Formats: sequence, structure tokens, C-alpha cells
Amino acid sequence: MAEHKLLLAHTDDPQHKTVAGYVANGGYRAWRKVLTSMTRDEVITEVKASGLRGRGGAGFPTGLKWSFVPKDSPKPRYLVCNADESEPGTCKDRVLLECDPQAVIEGMAIAAFSIGSHLAFNYIRGEFDYPIEVFEKAVEDAYDNGHLGKNIYGTGYDLDVVTHTGGGAYICGEETALLQSLAGHRGMSQMKPPFPAVEGLYGCPTVVNNVETLAVVPHLINNGGEWYKTFGTEKSAGTKLFSLTGHINSPGNYELEMGTSLRYLIEEMGGGIPEGRKIKAIIPGGASCPFMTADQIDTPLDYEAIADAGSMLGSGACIILDERTDIVWATYKLIKFFKHESCGKCTPCREGTKWLTQLVERILNGEGEESDIDKIDNICHNILGRTICPLGDAAAMPVISVIQRFRQDFVDRIKAKDVLPMEQFSFN
Amino acid sequence: MNKLKTISRTDDYVVLSRESRPVPDPGVWGMLRTTVVAIPIGFITVFKHLFRKSVTIEYPFKKRPMFPRYRGLHYLERYEDGTERCVCCGLCAAACPADAIYMEPMENENGERLAKVYEINMIRCIFCGFCEEACPEEAIFLGQEYEFATDSRDGFIYNKEKLLVTHPRPENTLKKMWRKVRRFF
Amino acid sequence: MSDTATKDQKTTPAVEMVSLTIDGRPISVKKGATVLDACRQENIPVPTFCWHPKLRSVGACRMCYVEIEKFPKLMVSCATEAMNDMVVLTDSEKCREGRKAIIEFILLDHPLDCPTCDKGGECDLQDNAFEYGLSDDTRFAFRKARKIRDKNSTFDDLQIGPEMVRNQNRCILCYKCVRANEEAFGEYDIGAYQRGHNTEIDAAPGGQVASLYSGNLVEICPVGALTSSDWRYKIRVWNTQTVPSIDPYHADGANLTLWKDATKVHRATSRMNDDTDDGWISDIARYGYQIATSERRIKAPLVNKNGAMVEVSWEEALGVISRRFKEVKESQGAPCLAGVVSPNLDLKTLHAFNKLFRGALGSNNVDYRSDYSNLPTDADSTYGFMASRSFSIDAVASSDVIFVVGSNLIREHPNVHLKTRRAIFEKLSWLYTANPIVTKSADCSTDEMIYNLGTDEVFLNGVTLSLIQQGLADKEVDTGKIETLLIPNTLEKCAETCGVSVERINECAKRLANSKSPTLIAGELVSNSIARENIAKSFYNVALLLGIVQGKRGQAAVLAKAANSKGAEALGLFPEISATQTATLKNQFQSFPELAGANWDAMLSGAQGEDIKAMLIFGANPVQTGADYNHIKKSLESLDFLVVADLKETPTTALADVVLPLSSFAEYDGSFTNLEGRTQDFCAGMKRIGASLPGYEALNRIAQSLGFSLYADLSSLQDEVSELLDSYNAPERKHFLMESHFQAPPAPQENSLPLFAGDALHHFGHWTEMCHSLLEFNPEAALEISADLASRLDIQTGDSVRVLCDRGDKGNKGEKLILKALVSDILEGDTLLASHNFAAKPVNCFTSRDSRVSYVRIEKIEKQ
Repeated sequence: MAEHKLLLAHTDDPQHKTVAGYVANGGYRAWRKVLTSMTRDEVITEVKASGLRGRGGAGFPTGLKWSFVPKDSPKPRYLVCNADESEPGTCKDRVLLECDPQAVIEGMAIAAFSIGSHLAFNYIRGEFDYPIEVFEKAVEDAYDNGHLGKNIYGTGYDLDVVTHTGGGAYICGEETALLQSLAGHRGMSQMKPPFPAVEGLYGCPTVVNNVETLAVVPHLINNGGEWYKTFGTEKSAGTKLFSLTGHINSPGNYELEMGTSLRYLIEEMGGGIPEGRKIKAIIPGGASCPFMTADQIDTPLDYEAIADAGSMLGSGACIILDERTDIVWATYKLIKFFKHESCGKCTPCREGTKWLTQLVERILNGEGEESDIDKIDNICHNILGRTICPLGDAAAMPVISVIQRFRQDFVDRIKAKDVLPMEQFSFN
Repeated sequence: MNKLKTISRTDDYVVLSRESRPVPDPGVWGMLRTTVVAIPIGFITVFKHLFRKSVTIEYPFKKRPMFPRYRGLHYLERYEDGTERCVCCGLCAAACPADAIYMEPMENENGERLAKVYEINMIRCIFCGFCEEACPEEAIFLGQEYEFATDSRDGFIYNKEKLLVTHPRPENTLKKMWRKVRRFF
Repeated sequence: MSDTATKDQKTTPAVEMVSLTIDGRPISVKKGATVLDACRQENIPVPTFCWHPKLRSVGACRMCYVEIEKFPKLMVSCATEAMNDMVVLTDSEKCREGRKAIIEFILLDHPLDCPTCDKGGECDLQDNAFEYGLSDDTRFAFRKARKIRDKNSTFDDLQIGPEMVRNQNRCILCYKCVRANEEAFGEYDIGAYQRGHNTEIDAAPGGQVASLYSGNLVEICPVGALTSSDWRYKIRVWNTQTVPSIDPYHADGANLTLWKDATKVHRATSRMNDDTDDGWISDIARYGYQIATSERRIKAPLVNKNGAMVEVSWEEALGVISRRFKEVKESQGAPCLAGVVSPNLDLKTLHAFNKLFRGALGSNNVDYRSDYSNLPTDADSTYGFMASRSFSIDAVASSDVIFVVGSNLIREHPNVHLKTRRAIFEKLSWLYTANPIVTKSADCSTDEMIYNLGTDEVFLNGVTLSLIQQGLADKEVDTGKIETLLIPNTLEKCAETCGVSVERINECAKRLANSKSPTLIAGELVSNSIARENIAKSFYNVALLLGIVQGKRGQAAVLAKAANSKGAEALGLFPEISATQTATLKNQFQSFPELAGANWDAMLSGAQGEDIKAMLIFGANPVQTGADYNHIKKSLESLDFLVVADLKETPTTALADVVLPLSSFAEYDGSFTNLEGRTQDFCAGMKRIGASLPGYEALNRIAQSLGFSLYADLSSLQDEVSELLDSYNAPERKHFLMESHFQAPPAPQENSLPLFAGDALHHFGHWTEMCHSLLEFNPEAALEISADLASRLDIQTGDSVRVLCDRGDKGNKGEKLILKALVSDILEGDTLLASHNFAAKPVNCFTSRDSRVSYVRIEKIEKQ
């Protein structure tokens, strides 16, 4: 189990962004194959067979999600590509949008076909100036070369791709809030059921997929679904992009087979911790995942194993914290982020994250009290599972794990008399 | 003393009556005791008390201070800067068991809420102190004043002007100086 | 083996039921209901903040947690559909802990405002915190406040609308106000801004929350975040009592609750009635109670002595009235007496009025339609027929096609307008509106057809012809003579004359014909027009061809305007009553005048002539709200004797010899019959102001002073009213297409713009000028101008505009008024709307009784 470049195979090739370069590297064969010789059901079967799971964080089987769209609904269907990459630590989608936009377009097209959609949206985070520019140019290029638009390849199928930029909200990465924002409303999460596959954008069946998930789809069509299962593990097939950041020698995006150990990622690909320091904590899947400790470094990187280890694979953004890290400060950074990004609809998340921020800030400033730690734990359990969308869970789970694994840090901080004031850490 | 005697009893009720105990005839010695002996004893007792300190005080020239939690006439407090504390929330009127308080709220130029009309009918009031307990703003207290008799019923309707404490409070300068000194040390 | 007998009996399919267990009790509910609906059905208490019976559930507050077996997390009952075999626990330990946590979260930043907060005593948060919250001290150790973003200060009270104050500190962000405004009312003037904990509920940037339904947002707020300026620091709610009441202005019959203490009424709120109002009331109904407490009320009878109005006692006033009435009756005969009554008065008053004139005085000259002109003269008019059709307001919400013609629905029937919105958004119904002006109620219409002024019947004839041409007309109706019946008689000519294209008319007609339960509504722009009969005939034709008037499907009616117009119609308060009504009245009154009565038009012309000498105007103000101010004023001035009874002094009372004070609807018990024919009772909330009397009592005293008695006691009067209402049958007729010939109105002069005189958005008739809250919204008579016209003439809101009208005929020479301009974001084109609700500005000097459209010229007055 090692590095396996599937999606990042052509990142060094600047021509790969254009249709000409993409086709030269084997692109748009899958789209043509799908349009000319496959039916919707065949595509879905192929994707189901591959065991591809959503790469945005939830890990839901993609083929299954596509099959939820009711076949007989008279309403138009929509495919939405979720490029609102705001999970702290994650930077994999931008690479795909910048370096391989055509693969994303092709994946969107195949996905749109499989659900019967003629209008696909790409909701890109507004702050991604350069990726948006590249992607829009790529879409134009695709239109010019007849891979999008009316009557593609003469098969009579129309498909339009629209780029929509977000306004700067992490919550709009959550699918229901994304659909609200796309429709022009406030980006606030909605109750599920009804699920977007049945009632999504404008009340019509909608499928929302992550950029990486869609970028894999052309490969599945080209090589067959079963091929994807030949690497990775049994339950987590294929490869995954991991964004390695934090205290590491070579941070960056690495594509590994599922099941590769964390140690391989950190030491072989990342080059280990600078100056040989020891690891204090690892966040394997982005800021919303529980922390892992250094002794879990041999955990294989797939959905099941990480879940067994008490965390989540999430979006695959590994943040490494070395032994110098002040865990209280790290918790404060995280919880402040979630408080700022909460949409404010449901009470536990809106009020709970604010209270947690105030409590952790107080501990950070040296004014904490003994009872604060249990209070924090209790508040997190009052938020967990009680919210409309997973942002509340995302805020609560890391804090719970920190209290569990690094409680002593908090106790020491509360007891310490000579505490560094917050201004020392410039993070505002 | 007077024994109860049962007259009749049924399954449902008992009829009782009082019978007085027969009083014995005093006789001659008895008569002497009540006149010759008792009367001088009485005079001597009175005479003894002439030279003892009396338990009574000469009200209204001297008044005994009431205990601190005495519930007398109400007064409405103010903050240090003179703003009335009462926000006319209606809790004292709601708590009053005698329905003695009537109020109408209003808004002043600063947008704050206070009472346009605040009246306590002292005849209805039973001086229980529920209003003081209920007040969330620590605005109304029952004080030490108990001498407020007047000769008309209307005189017992105390409006806000009568109930508010004066501002600034008249205070003993010596006391103020002593408080400052104490605070310093 | 099915039993054929039972199969025949089952005409409606059985609703699918779902059975589940809640707290050990087996319950069955309709399929699609939520667990919360099931709990409420069984009166199991489940606390909520953001749930409302008429809004979509959002699951924002998380207070309605219940524990459901086999579900790992606590579920919010408002958004969980009840399924078969669910086992629900509403009071388990986990639920209680969950609810405690939510109350704790909400109270974290909730200020300790209860003593000064107006909502205290009726606050959901107080009640739920007391019941489900923590019983010990708070764990929250920080400074409590919802802070303004980036500032270390809390929010101040902010006036975000003329009658709405927002305190953001208290807001618990349940979003009920925003949701109700968007979903139920279709307004966007309040919204949530910022995100997360800093979310603020605020008026739209640069605007105010001033829609017609803005008062409902204050009522719906569960805490004291949105409060009404009228109720601000007024009285504590536990010191008040409630009485039920009815909206005395609009014909919708919205149900109200009046909150009162021993002396007066303090506010009015809604009393949910799904048949009429769905729990939403217009601001006019909400603040309209202020007529009871206004200082402008007349408190004693007034008699005109040497030009000045002097307060006198009832005896003296009645003495004058009886003397003068007797004089007129004896010298010139009973038919010289006339009576005009307002259709906003209650049933007993209307019947007593009828009895006074027809029974006691012996005159058939009674009319309730003093706001209209060119009234029908026979009992068999098509307008009367269409106005008396049965109509159900709730059926509008389940109609699949709604067709509104000649009606500014939101101003005339605010509750019917909300029902049309419900139909559109819940049943995906189609709404077609056809008006000469752009209206707000057409916002969510499928097609808003604007036809040329004065061509209402041409448009309807176009629809008729379209139905026939497309073969969609009802087969049983004989359409052979259609060429001669209608002028113009081809669809193309109709389309050209009225300005709506053939395609649009065809589409509308097709949709109507294919609908299962259409609703056809005609409103004030039809009723107020002098060509009302013609338009009604065209309207009837459309309804006939769709099979509605024959009763095959749907409903079609010209909607009554005032709260008791239908009542006045049923009780026969007009000269040309039907034979059945005459018979019943004869029976009740024991005598009935022989000579046919004069209607309002005839009364006016008779007053100027020799026919009408004395008049009693009861509650109405025709000098202000009737058409053609000069004509009405001249007529009333020509009378020998005029008695006016009203709540306040009006331009009509200024012309009177005797003025009588009336009690408002909040001061006595009575009933109104709404436009559906539904009679609803209202109760008194306070004692009568001064020496004012309810209408029926004042009339009885007048009758007694003349030697008659109208009723022995109120219950006998009520019995007579009930008898009339029960025996009232809407007229029947043989159904055939009616003739409708269009005459083009004369072309307007150059530079003249068409003017409609009607109600301002927040006013109705002449009484609402007494309501200070409604004056906050519309303080003075305004001229509503479209944005386009305003920019052409360089007029902004607030500018003074001189309105001139000079038609050299019939006395409307050289009329001019100065009005404030109000640039409307709804109106388009050149049409002007002037509000006739303000006595100071008689805009009805521009309207006339013989032309369909009134034209004026306007000039901007430069600021000095």
C-alpha cells in the first residue's frame, strides 16, 4: 500500500487543463462511451460496483446516492459539484480544479447523465479566484470542442455546466445549505428528510458530489468498476488524495491507496517532522475529526480503520501537531472557527459553540476553573447529535476527543499561574 | 375547672354541657382576707413599683426603634445617581394578596420604563412584605415608619411622589467621613 | 365480497391513517402528519418555539425533542413524520435532559429583561423555562448579552417599522417572523442578516417593516424581541381579560380577540379561525379597535344652533328629530323621508333601521350603498345575482384555478388574498388576475392581465368568446346568439379594445375550463364602477359557460366590501328587495309602505329636487367616501333636515342639523355577516363612550320619540334578525347568456391622468383616521404614483402635488387639492391612486357619477 497517482497523474502537465491536452492524455473517452453506448442504469451499476465512496468527508457510497434519484419524477434533475472546500486543512480540491479541470467536467457530465440531468452546477468557493478562472476557461474550452452544450456527439443529449461562486461560508459545503445558497437564499441547513436526491435544488431531485469523487468517475468508466477495487482495501476501494499539513517537512497533496498506513504518509511522503520532533497529535480528516495520538501512527488510512481508532477519515486532510503545540490553543482555534461558521439556525450549535469558545478562551487566558473541563465535555455532548447538520457534530467531536486524550494539558493550563497571554499567538 | 358532663349520647353525636363547680362559702375569715389583708397588699405593691424602672416608655416623646426587619410604610428606592429603581413591572401588584398596588407604566426620554402612576392603598395593604420579596429591581422596601394615621380615606392612597425616597439622601456628614476612613483601611 | 350498499355510501376515499404509540397510548393520525401533530391531537404537551401550525416546520429551536425507539438520537417531533408502529416517549429522562440543555442554551445570552419586557406573562420562553428548564443556578459565568457584531455593546431597542420595535438581545432566532413574512404573506421587508450567533433580524436595508400584515409578526414572536409600539409599556397582560370580536371593517370576517381591563380596550389580536382568516389578520383589523378609545369621538348629541354645533342631551336632540320628522311626514308625506345606513354596522342596528323607516315612518327609501353610484333599480339585476352567490373563503385555498377580475384583492379582502397565496403555494394552483391597475395581489399570479381603463366587460367578453371558440364552454348553455349578445363580438376585437392579447385570453380561458374547482372573484373596481351591471353580466356569462353558476363546480361571486354588506343585503336594507323579503318584513313590521323606494342616486337627485326633504344618515359618510363630492354636498345641503349619526365629526356631520353619537363595535354586543354569509358575533369590551349608544338603541329612541317602539327587548330583535337571515335565499334565475354591449368611454383630455379614489393601504373607510397606529403607516391623504411617472415628472415621496380637474360640466369645474406624493413600487403606468380616508382632503371631488374613469392633471409644487 503506497502512493498511487491516479488523479494527480498529470498535475505537472500545463496542457492537461485544455481539452486538447486532456484528450491527448486519454480524456473524454469515458464521456463518449457513456453517451454513445451506455444507459443510465449501466453507469450507476458500474459506479456501484467500484465501491467508490464520497470523498467530501461523509464517505457515502456514490453509486447508491445516484440511485436514490426517482426515475419517474417529472421534475428536472440537477447535478451539483461541491467545490466549496472550506474544511480546515483540506486543499485537495483546488489542485484538481487548477490542474485537472477537464476530469472534473467529464465526471460531472457522466454523473449528470446517470441521473438524467441536463444542468450541472459547480459551486466553487468564492475565495478560489484562480481555480475559478481556470475552471471557467476549461468549461468554455469544453463547450468549444463539443463536449458540452446541445446535442453532444450527435446523440441528442444536452448538458450545460454553470459555475457558481460561493459567498464565503463553510456551512455552504453542507449539501442542503449549498443548495439553498445556490438558489439564492440564505445558506442555512435544512432538515433531512426530504433528502436532496428527492427534493433538492428548487424542490427537484438533486445529487451533490465532491470534486474528487467526480474526478474518479471517468476512470471507472474507462477501466470498469471492478478495476477500482483492485487497489485500496475491501470496504474502502481505490485511492484518496491526502492533504498533509502542519508540522511536517514536505506538506502537500499526496495520492495514496486506501489502506496505506499513516506512518507511510507522514514519514515517506511527508518526510517526517522537522528537526525530528515527536508527534503530539494527528488530525486525520480535517478539523471536524477527533484527534489521534502518536501511538496510533500505524493505523491504515481507510474509513473503517480510522473509525475504529476513534476518529474519522473525513476529507483526508492530515494535520500534524508536534510536541511543542499548545493543545488548548489548538482547541481554541478550532472551536472559534466553528463558532464563526455556524449558520445560526439551530440552538445547540449556535449557542453551544459560542459558549465553548468563551470557555476555552478563558482557559487559554489563564482564568479557567476546575469545573470548566467537565462543563466543556457536557456542553459538547449536548450539541452532539442534536443539530440539523453535521457542523454541530464537527464542532463537538474534536473537543470531546481533546478532553479525553489531552485532559492533562487543560488541567495544567488551569493550574498554571504564569500563563502566556493570548496576544502572543497572532491568529486573529 | 368547669367539668364537661355528658348529658346524652347516641351513635352520631354527643350532647355535652358545662356544669360549674360549686363555689365554697367564704365565711368570716374569708371576708377579712379579702378586705383587711388584700387591700393593703395592693397598696404596698403599687408603692413598690413607684421606685422601680417602668417597663413602658413615654410614647410619643420617646419612641422605641423597631427591629431591622420591621414591616412598616413602603418606600421606593433609587440608584446612586438618582434614577428610580422601579421599572413598573407589575410583580409587586401581582404578588400583593390584598390587591393594594395599582400602577401604569410609561416610557421616558431615554427609552427606559418607569411608572407613570404608582399607588399603594395603605388601608388595603396588610404589610406582609410580599411586594418587597417579589420586586426584581430591589425597588420597594417596607421601612420602619408606622405613624401614618390620617383623617381621610384618600390620605391613605400613597402615590409615587409620597413613596419615593428623596434624592440626594440627607446624611450625617460625620457618618460619611467615618465611612470614608473605614474604607481606606 | 364487497357490499354494494356500503360502496354506494362511500363517496369520499378514506383518509389513510397511521397508528403509533405515544407515552404508552395508542394513537392514530392521518398519514403525513408529524409526531408533533399526533401529540397535539392527544393534548400531550410538547414544548416548541419555532413551530407554528400554519408555517413549514424547520426544526430550528430543537425544543420539541421526543425519544423514539430504534432511533439513536433524540428526534425533533415537528419534523419527524409519524410512521406505523413508532413508539414515542415524550417525557423520558433523555427528553427532559435534552430540553433542559436547549433552555440552557437559549438563556445563555438572553437578557434579564422580564420586568421591563412587554411579553412578560405571555412569553413562551418564560413558560417553557419554568416548566422544562434548570431549577438551580446558571452555569454560565460570562457577561450575558447578544452583542452587536464586532462591538462590545448590546443592542438598543430599534424601531424597525411604524409600529414595530425590535430588541435583538431578546431574540431566540426561531425565524418565525422571517418565515411567516415570506411564506404566509409574501413580503420581504423583514429578514435575517449576518450569520451564526451574530444573526440579526432587521428590516430590509433602507426600508421599514410596514406591510399590511406586519402586526402578525409581533404576535407570532415567542419572546419580546418584536413588540408593538401600541402595546409598549401599556399594561401587563395578566391584568387584562379577553372578549371575542370580529373585524368591523373588511367583509372577510377575521376573528379577533380584544384584550381589555375594566375601563377600556388595550389591544386586539387574532383568534384563529381556519374558515376565514387562518390566524392572520390585517393591521386594519388589529389597530382598528382604537376607534373605541380615540379622543375624536363624539360624546354627546350635537344640535346645530345658529351655525355652531352645541352639545345637548339625548332628550333635546330626540325632541328636535321627532318634531322635524313629524313635520315632514305630515306636510309632505312619508316618502320624503330617506335613510342611509353604513354596511359596517351590526345586524341588529341594520334591522332596527329598516324597521324605523319601513315599519314606523312608512318610507321605503332606505339604502346602504352610499359609496356607490348608478345603482341597480330592480331586484333582478345581474349584479345583485352575482353579489349574492355563495362563496367560501376557505374553498379559495383549495381551488385549483383562481380568477380575480377588477379587484385590488389585498386592499379589499386581505384574508382572501392570503388564501389565494396558500392555494398557490400548497396546491400549486394557478392565479389569473385581470385589473386596470397593477396590484400587489398579483405578485404570484400566473398571468397578470392589465386591461385598458373602462374596458372591464370587454375583457370578460373576450374570455367568454374564447371559451366558445375553443369549444370549452358548458355544453348545456345555448351560445347561438352570441354574435348579437356581445359587442364587440369577436375575440380579436375584444383583445384589441381591452389591450390583452388573444393568446393570453385563450390560455386563461383554457386553464379555467380545465379546472376542477375554479374560483372567480370580482371586486371593488367592478362594484364601484357605473357600468357595474354590464360588467356583472359579462362576469355572469363567464361563470355560466364554466358551469359555476349552475352549481356544477367551483364558485364565482362579486365579493361584498364591508363587514356587514352581506347582512345588509339579507336584511333588505335597500329599496328593490325581493318578494320573499318583502313578505317577511311585512310580517314583522305589521305595516309596509306602498310606494316603491328611492335608492341612493334617487335620494340625491330627489334632495336637490322636491322629493326628499329629510334624511337620516347612520354611520355613513357619503360626503367623504361617495362619488362626486359636490353633487352629494349640494344634495345634502338642499335637504330641510338632516340627522347624522356617527362615531366622530365628519364632513357629513358638518352639514347635519342633529348629530347623534354612536358606540363603536367594541362597546356593545352584536354580529356581522361576512361575505360568505357567515354570521359571527362580537362582544363588548368596554363601556360606551360618553352618551353614545349602539345603533339599535339610538334608533329605538328615535322611534319612541315618534311614538313607536322598534323592539320590546333585544332578544326579540335578534329573533327577527335570525328569521330574516334564515329565510334569505339567494335569488334564483333561469340561466342563459346575457347581453353586454360596450360603449367606449370618452377619450380623456391631453395631459390628464386617470385617478382612482380608494382606501390607502392601512386604512378603510372614514373611521380608521381615528386610529393613531394606522396613522403611523399612512398619516395623511396621499397620491400614489408609479415610479415611472414619478421619475418623468421628477416627483419623490413626500413632495406636494397639486391635483386639478376641470371638466366643464356638472359642477366639477376647477377642483383642486394638494396631496402628498407617495411613489409606489407596485403601480405602473399613468394611473394614480388617491386615498379617500382623510376628511381634510376630499379626493372624491375628482370622481364623478356618470363617467367610468375620472381624469385629473397633476403638477408638482416646488419646495419653497
